[in-house]
Amino acid sequence: MKEQKHIKRRFILSAVVAVILILIAIFSHQLAPHDPYQTNAALIRKAPSMEYLFGTDNLGRCVFSRVLYGAKTTIFATFFLVAISFVIGTIAGMICGYYGGIADNILMRLADLMLAFPQMVVAIAVAGILGGGLMGAMIALGITMWTSFARLARSHTLSIKKAPYITASKLAGKGGAYILCVHVLPNILEPVLISALTQIGTTMIGISGLSFLGLGVVAPEAEWGSMISEARAYIQIAPWAVLYPAAATIITIVVFNYLGDAMMEYRNRH
Amino acid sequence: MNKTEIVLEGRNITKQYKTKGRKIQSLSDVNFALHRGEILGVVGESGSGKSTLLKMITGMERMDAGDLYHEGTSYTNSHPGKTGKFLQMIFQDAYGSFDPRRTMKQSLLEIQHTSMQDVLDMIEKVGLTPDLLERKPRQLSGGQCQRMSIARALLSHVDILLCDEITSALDVSTQAQVVTLLSDLRKKEGLSIIFVSHDLALVGNLCDRIMVLKDGTCVEDGKTEDVIWHPKDAYTKLLLSNAITITE
Repeated sequence: MKEQKHIKRRFILSAVVAVILILIAIFSHQLAPHDPYQTNAALIRKAPSMEYLFGTDNLGRCVFSRVLYGAKTTIFATFFLVAISFVIGTIAGMICGYYGGIADNILMRLADLMLAFPQMVVAIAVAGILGGGLMGAMIALGITMWTSFARLARSHTLSIKKAPYITASKLAGKGGAYILCVHVLPNILEPVLISALTQIGTTMIGISGLSFLGLGVVAPEAEWGSMISEARAYIQIAPWAVLYPAAATIITIVVFNYLGDAMMEYRNRH
Repeated sequence: MNKTEIVLEGRNITKQYKTKGRKIQSLSDVNFALHRGEILGVVGESGSGKSTLLKMITGMERMDAGDLYHEGTSYTNSHPGKTGKFLQMIFQDAYGSFDPRRTMKQSLLEIQHTSMQDVLDMIEKVGLTPDLLERKPRQLSGGQCQRMSIARALLSHVDILLCDEITSALDVSTQAQVVTLLSDLRKKEGLSIIFVSHDLALVGNLCDRIMVLKDGTCVEDGKTEDVIWHPKDAYTKLLLSNAITITE
């Protein structure tokens, strides 16, 4: 009982912090005290102060404003990528699990192939071919990401496709599309959705990582990974330019991972 | 109504499964005939092929060999969407036969061409109250849930019911209620029923004829009184002696 309360508290706390982070990302334009793209030669590498809370970077831009703008890019790019991968992976997994056959064999072997390589290695290679840019980075990460959702959705579909209520629905004359949408999807959605939540942190690392390597968001666009990459050249003279975007990345990843774990634990106990 | 008319017939039904490289003969040349308005009991121990036979009849799985006929017309290896037009199945796991996320009303309205009035009429027919329609499976008792399954099956306006161990998960008094309901419905609706069970006493009370399966083969088939009182096969005798021993 005490442990249940603890899990619930953890879940609520992480959900509240996650919502705050999302709100910051949504209202970053209103919250930013300065123009994040405005360079100023007189303010180069200015240490944190009351006016520039996180200091300025090598071009005199407000790091705090850039971190806020970066939140929008990083968080929404992550959400978008996870959502697309979740939708594609879940649909593919459900169809493969339900119908089986050749399509299942081909798709699942393709998924095995994707999973055989470390995700970041494939992403770097694909992003390198596609060239820089946020869209390229998202495609590069998405190529491997859908497979984990597909495998999960497939295994859950396999576990319920012979359930008596599916048989009853077939005998009632319902077709595959109806059964997948009305019976299978609602019953497998929860575990796949929780998996999506736990993927947010990994995806954020992926997007920021590719930007850090120069294969994601390109300058002067504000994004945490590219900000760290730009500022690492002068980390010894202006550590704040690296510290704050790095801290923002770590905090966001920890919060979403914590939320995913709390949800999974909550689900396992109910 | 012609009581001797065969509504459902199976000839030489054969099914083999392959598990871990091993071949398991689940059904071997099984023949049966279900007459209109009749209850045919199928008995046998676990693994004898009773449930496999029902899967073949419903079209849930394909047969390796054999033929199935509905009112003289072949429907061999038809998909459940087609077989569901003339037969419905009631499952052993009453709770599992309803989507856990949907209310009873949603599940019953899933049957094609079914109105809310049809559902309400059927609910009354199976001895349930309309307030139960708003509940999800786990919010019903085992007996209520099994009655709901019967209601759903009958909403399809079929004349054949396949009952797969439908009383095995129920307590004795609920078993009696469900069996009485089936017996009444058979008379009122003119249903033909295949009743699969390993409870010989129950089958003996309910069914007109009994078919005994052993290792996928039909070892005995005949009128209930003949099979119960004058069994020919040694396996039937063994089943009966076990049942009598337990009863005593």
